[in-house]
Amino acid sequence: MKELAHYGPSLCVKFFKDFVVAGYGPFVQIYDYHNGKLLNKCRVFRKNKVHGLSINESGQLLAYGARSVTIVKFDHLITQVSLVDNEKMTTEWITSGEFNYRGDQVYLLTCYNKVFVCDLTGEILSRKTLQGERSILYSGSIKEFSPEKVYISAGTVMGGVLIWDLFLETKLYNLVGHEGSIFYATISDNGRYITSCSDDRSIKLWNLQTGEELCTGWGHTARIWNLKFFNNDTQLISVSEDNTCRVWDILQDEGNGNTSLTLSQIYEVHLIKNVWGVDIQEKDMVAVTSGNDGRLKLTKIQDTKTMNAQEVSFSLEDISTHSVIKFSKGEIIKGFQKFEFGLIAITSLGKIIQYFECDNLWKLLLVSENLVSYSVTHGIMEHNIVTFSNNKSDALLLKLSQDGRDIIAKKFMHLDELSKTNNCLVTKFDATTLMLTLESPNPRDKFICLQFDLETLSLKKKFAFAKPENFASSCLEVFENYILVGSRFSSIAIFDTLNIEHPAYMIRRISAGDTTTNIKFVETKGHTHLFSVTNRDGFYNFVALSYQNQTHQIIHSNNIVKGFLEGAYFNDNGEYITYGFKSNLFYIYNETNCYEIASQVCGGGHRQWKLTTLPDGGYMLVYIKAARLYMRKIPQSLFPQTLEEGMHGREIRDITILKDKRYHDDGFIFCTASEDTTIKVCHFNESTGKVTNHWTERKHVSGLQRCKFINGKYMISSSAREELFLWEINDDYKLHPFITIRQTLPASSDNPDLRIMDFDAIFLEHSDNFIISTVYSDSSVKLWYYNTDENKFHLLVKGRYQTCCILNTALIIFHDKLYLLIATTTGYLVTYDVTDHIPFGINETKNKLIDNKLETCCVDLPASSLSLRVHQSGIKAIDVFKDEHNDSFKIYSCGDDNAMAITLFKFDEMKRELNNTIVSSEPNSAASTVTSCNVFDNGRKLLSTSVDQVVKVWDVSNNHLTLQEEKYTTIADTGASDTVSGRDDSTLFLIGGIGFSVWKTD
Amino acid sequence: MGKNSKDKRDMYYRKAKEQGFRARSAFKLLQLNDDFHFLDDPNLKRVVDLCAAPGSWSQVLSQKLFDGKTAEEIKDRKIVAVDLQPMSPINHVTTLQADITHPKTLKRILDLFGNEKADFVCSDGAPDVTGLHDLDEYVQQQLIMSALQLTACILKKGGIFVAKIFRGRDIDMLYSQLGYLFDKVVCAKPKSSRGTSLEAFIVCIGYNPPSDWVSTLDVNSSVEEFFSGCHMSKLSIHDKLPSWQEDERTIAKFMSCGNLESFDSDATY
Ligand SMILES: C[S@@+](CC[C@H](N)C(=O)[O-])C[C@H]1O[C@@H](n2cnc3c(N)ncnc32)[C@H](O)[C@@H]1O
Repeated sequence: MKELAHYGPSLCVKFFKDFVVAGYGPFVQIYDYHNGKLLNKCRVFRKNKVHGLSINESGQLLAYGARSVTIVKFDHLITQVSLVDNEKMTTEWITSGEFNYRGDQVYLLTCYNKVFVCDLTGEILSRKTLQGERSILYSGSIKEFSPEKVYISAGTVMGGVLIWDLFLETKLYNLVGHEGSIFYATISDNGRYITSCSDDRSIKLWNLQTGEELCTGWGHTARIWNLKFFNNDTQLISVSEDNTCRVWDILQDEGNGNTSLTLSQIYEVHLIKNVWGVDIQEKDMVAVTSGNDGRLKLTKIQDTKTMNAQEVSFSLEDISTHSVIKFSKGEIIKGFQKFEFGLIAITSLGKIIQYFECDNLWKLLLVSENLVSYSVTHGIMEHNIVTFSNNKSDALLLKLSQDGRDIIAKKFMHLDELSKTNNCLVTKFDATTLMLTLESPNPRDKFICLQFDLETLSLKKKFAFAKPENFASSCLEVFENYILVGSRFSSIAIFDTLNIEHPAYMIRRISAGDTTTNIKFVETKGHTHLFSVTNRDGFYNFVALSYQNQTHQIIHSNNIVKGFLEGAYFNDNGEYITYGFKSNLFYIYNETNCYEIASQVCGGGHRQWKLTTLPDGGYMLVYIKAARLYMRKIPQSLFPQTLEEGMHGREIRDITILKDKRYHDDGFIFCTASEDTTIKVCHFNESTGKVTNHWTERKHVSGLQRCKFINGKYMISSSAREELFLWEINDDYKLHPFITIRQTLPASSDNPDLRIMDFDAIFLEHSDNFIISTVYSDSSVKLWYYNTDENKFHLLVKGRYQTCCILNTALIIFHDKLYLLIATTTGYLVTYDVTDHIPFGINETKNKLIDNKLETCCVDLPASSLSLRVHQSGIKAIDVFKDEHNDSFKIYSCGDDNAMAITLFKFDEMKRELNNTIVSSEPNSAASTVTSCNVFDNGRKLLSTSVDQVVKVWDVSNNHLTLQEEKYTTIADTGASDTVSGRDDSTLFLIGGIGFSVWKTD
Repeated sequence: MGKNSKDKRDMYYRKAKEQGFRARSAFKLLQLNDDFHFLDDPNLKRVVDLCAAPGSWSQVLSQKLFDGKTAEEIKDRKIVAVDLQPMSPINHVTTLQADITHPKTLKRILDLFGNEKADFVCSDGAPDVTGLHDLDEYVQQQLIMSALQLTACILKKGGIFVAKIFRGRDIDMLYSQLGYLFDKVVCAKPKSSRGTSLEAFIVCIGYNPPSDWVSTLDVNSSVEEFFSGCHMSKLSIHDKLPSWQEDERTIAKFMSCGNLESFDSDATY
């Protein structure tokens, strides 16, 4: 077997020329950061992870991690797949390593405050230490000022930073002031400062000349892992467990000489928890960070000067001083529309004014009496059209020349049929026309849609639709001959321009109930059209609409992390981009890969604003704050935002593959359930192992226990708080697979600690109905029936095993009986015969149940029929295999006791009862907990993973565990796996823990 | 490890409160004792409790060694407890605030014992977890090695050493190393220790170092140097960093501890 791909924590990262060099597990990965391309992935260590890197000017690279160290040529690193033969060892953990200035030696600082000075072949030239100070260190760094003067900064667990002179082996200072362990300490190039960060969430700056503490920087909300000086030692960049990266300014007060650390920028860079590595490329002012989520993130560091240059803002006073336009007292801006030349705005006195970006000038375009006091402004940027409407059923359309200097078409309309108007929406309808909708507050009035020519602004057509009940338009989308209008209460009305008489097709209450903020057409499949619909309350949904059949279905539903959702769209890479407000910020977020693209402090929602995509891919956010008009340019990043997307920030607890069919013919869809409370829907390529993220589902509120596809359509996930969700997956569309919750299992209590540990399902013939057993941390065992048409769970059986936690369950049809099996924390496999407790018959050949159309009711769990202690303590995982001839079934189990076992279940024809025996057990099958096992190759082989990070394949063909192959995995806390048959008789393994990898058998 | 809100709801947390223990950890020692009975030995006199704060193990030790005992019995009994954190006083326990990985600390403990040997050394040490798995495991093992260094200087032949471990990637390396110093090494998991955590305890019985090895504590030598000569590590560094080599590994016997009535720490009550 071999590993095809590996994703996991990246502990260190560095810029070198045009490259980003990252320690990624035992590999060093090199990227061209301008285009994001991975140039090479070279394994440098057999087992250890790369914790630190140092690169010198002559192209030598030093990598160290745990007790391993290697010095290799950058040229080799970029061309070879493995350099492990060069790996060298030390007796102690290496805390830091650096080249000397000449590049012919390295300094290696160990966690016991000892330094090896070695040449590049590993020859030890000298050993240095600080006498009497050899307690364990979490961190340290080395600074060479000259060949004779090298300083060591060592961070202790007691909160002190020891600064010592390497060659003199003398202590300069023990800097005390932090509370808790020191996680990093380093000295500035100019020799003025030492900076340190700690468990106590603070950064301290010290004077290297005197050892005195200069100042403390507060701001991070969790432990701080790394720090770096930049910009001639006037700024610091830090990364933390709070998943942010922050920029600090070191300020010198001219008056009193005091130094201070001021937080100047905050960037959310990684998912849940730890950011480990940081570096900065000052030429481009771009930072790279690496984290536990396996992401490598590039962040443009904004300096205040450029930031200021990218924003202009005006009050009406400013505009009048810069132009000849005069405004009255109390006059305010009522609306605006962005254009390539600049902007058009309207005031409360009907003054339509124009801003020309290139010469920073304002001009009065015209004044309209009709638009005094109330007006709504829209437009179509690419056609230089601006539209206005008022509350008296008037609409004004203007088309401007390319440069915006002249009005080339003008159209004024009054609608007699509307008594009053309170909203107007505009969108392009087809290649030559636009659609403008007008709505009156009167429910009996029609909903008017006007179609205008994009060149002449002449009215082409007028549609008057009967207004649905409870309707208040909020957003507009057109598709073919349909007009889709979003409304309050999370609903959409669809009008057919070819059939005006037909009442609007309504989609109501898509989510809990706020305003629909945005509708976007996604793709068509047959007669079904897919739309993305966002709701202000934070939910986004994908609605598959078949207007012909007058049906629709929500095939995807999810919510954003927090805040108000104002809109979303797919970018050119097929990534879903969302935007809206959170607290006082406007944000743009890459939802597919879970990172923020940009954010802008604007005072929060409830204001006039408009987001425009610029031709170069950047954005322009126009908004009004405190009576000022702001135009904030958010330029397109010159670099990719990520080099590696990453997956979960915390442990993956379970993995499930959709095995029924291939996705896009090159791999499979799978889901991962994580401790971080999310489920990711991804797919992997079966030849390269490459993982593509699709969605991150946030429905669970606690860390997950399990997720499992129970057929080609349904997936189930469970966690604490008694959460169990039934999901339906849809992979009919090109862009992404979609997934939504169909039903939630009823909970019996509100104990937040009550966990649903596992479940198993068996289907009824000819239907998607199934029964499901659920087992709980309070020893409860339940059996449910799910009926698809009713979309309801019915409780069939309930009971309790003892008082211990139940870890696993299986439902098995065997000899015309249905058995419910549980595995416990006490190591028992317990079997219940529930055949007579369910209102269904059994079809053994099909391994399905038969619907006898009986009433469902709830009965008590019977006494167990078999109970066998297979493990000494918790059974971590089980897998079931039924023999071909149906004369036995086997339970493969693995546990906390390092053991694996095969338990054989047979039916005793004489006694007419089931019996079981342990036919094979391997007490020391791993050095630590065996966390998962999966039978594959038609029952002949068994895969196991264990916390000692060894992946094993066992031959189990003759009911005996015979180790066939074992390989080390770099995934720590290895805890989840699933298998699927690949091409050419191979089997693919997905293995998860802190990280994720894809394997393939030979 | 870690401060989890789950602790608050835990059955053992409630039981500890009821019985006046400072931490739920007390039950781990008690359950280990249920199977190994090391604290029931009437000849148990002098013990060292490393990484002892807030002190529930010391409380158990104090009860076992002193409660209801005659003045004669307790004559030369002694408990020394050490931790980075300060600890409020416990009857019959001498406390010391210090870092056990610091060589000077070992010197101070030895001084407290004079020339006497100890019968039992335990360590429930757990460093602050960083989230870097390999580092956390390494630091944990270093805590054990520091405890072991002290043990080598102070434990009588045949004595017992108990320490907390996390059964991660390199735990079999540690088992193998311990095999050089003790007759028997067992990996024991008390029922009060959560099944979801990697925590377990090594119970090392019958201290029996190689006869050709003399342990000498020098504040400037490392743990590795201290143990060199007792065959524990194959790796030694002379004038060149050696190439990578696989460490010796063995798997210790696993044992689940605590009697049948013990609560299951993974269960919800
Ligand atoms: C789980 S607690 C011990 C609980 C204790 N056995 C009880 O029953 O109350 C772990 C302790 O190890 C201590 N510790 C960690 N590293 C240490 C070190 N280097 N030296 C001394 N104590 C340390 C911590 O301060 C912490 O109090």
